[in-house]
Formats: sequence, C-alpha cells, structure tokens
Amino acid sequence: MKNIIWTFLLGSQLFAYDVGDTISPAMVEHLGLGGEKVYVIDFFASWCGSCQKEVPLIAKANVTLNHNEVEIIGIDVDKKPENAEAFQKALQAEGALNFRVVNDPQNLVIAEFNPVGMPTLYYVKAQKVVKIITGAVDAIDAQIHSDLKKMR
Amino acid sequence: MKTLSYIVLLLFFIGCAKEVKPWEKETLAKSTMEDAGGNALSKQYEEHIYFSKEASKGGGGVAGGGCGCN
Repeated sequence: MKNIIWTFLLGSQLFAYDVGDTISPAMVEHLGLGGEKVYVIDFFASWCGSCQKEVPLIAKANVTLNHNEVEIIGIDVDKKPENAEAFQKALQAEGALNFRVVNDPQNLVIAEFNPVGMPTLYYVKAQKVVKIITGAVDAIDAQIHSDLKKMR
Repeated sequence: MKTLSYIVLLLFFIGCAKEVKPWEKETLAKSTMEDAGGNALSKQYEEHIYFSKEASKGGGGVAGGGCGCN
C-alpha cells in the first residue's frame, strides 16, 4: 500500500526526461531526431511572456550555427492552433523565427518530456538528453553557443 | 477495513493532488487573472486606499516571481 501511495505522489515526476535519458523511438520519429546532429528543442507558447523574449534570441543564435551539426526545433504547445499560427507569423514577420516548429496542440510531446517550467530547452545528442535549461535565460543565444562548444 | 480506509484516504489525495502543469497555465497567464483583473488604474486606487488605511507604504506584495522556473 505504501508503494502505491509513493508511486501516486511521485508519479508525475517519474515520467520526465532527465539528463542521460534516451528519447522514445516514437518521439525520435515524430520530431525527426534520428540524425547525428545535436538537436536543441525549445518548448514555447504564445501566452508565455518569457518565451516571447527567448524565441527571437534563439533565432539569433541559429543564424550563426553550423546546420550540418546542429538543428533547433521549436515545439509550440499552444492548444488553439489559431494562436500558434498568429504567434509564429508575427515572429516570422520580424525575422525572429528561422527554425523548424512542430505544433503540439494536444500537448503530447511536452507531456512526454514533462518539463518543470516554461520555457525549457533540451539538448539531444544521439537520441539522448544531454542538457536541460529550464526558465528564461537573458542571453540564451550566447548560452546556446557556449553549450554547443562544450558538446563537440 | 484497513485497506478500505487507505483507499478512501487515497481518494481524498486524488482531489488535492491535481497538478497544473507548466504548459497548462495559459488561462493563469492572462492579465485578467492578476489582482484587480489586470486593470492598472483600479489596482492603483485599491492600493492607495489600502496604504491610507494601514498608514504605511509597501508590504502589499510578496517577494519572488510565480512561474517557479528560475
């Protein structure tokens, strides 16, 4: 009985991807993470103030990345597709969205990763989570470059 | 009987332990969810009355943010 209670109480955190975890084959296929690149996965939403500041900075970092080695993938977790579309269009109009975005209106992708906050950035290499950055970082563009340099 | 008591207790936990995930906070992120419904003037007016009645300034808020991400 004790085990059941502990499993229930801790269950929500048990099924979260952490550093060193292997991404499920279904998710690798869904997001296209099968290559040899380092994948930087950013979870964002139109209603998330910190994400609104961070996405343009990630796009700035993406300009100078070697796309043969690194790919940034955005996951828009807006439940209303019209909100996601409007947000992405506004970003594109400002030149602040230059990476592939996967819409996740059912929240199936983010539920599998199960981050503790928004925005969250996952570095995935060889289908394994290498690093996680949770919460807004002021100079996330510089942080991405610095992290990728260490991963080479 | 003991097992039944545990099950009833667990049912109570189910009601309390519904966690709002970070990606489910769209409605909570709206300005209308703030004090005074996001109406800055109304908030300022209420704070003015509060501070006048308390004969002090400050202490109307709490330290730190609410997103729990930093």
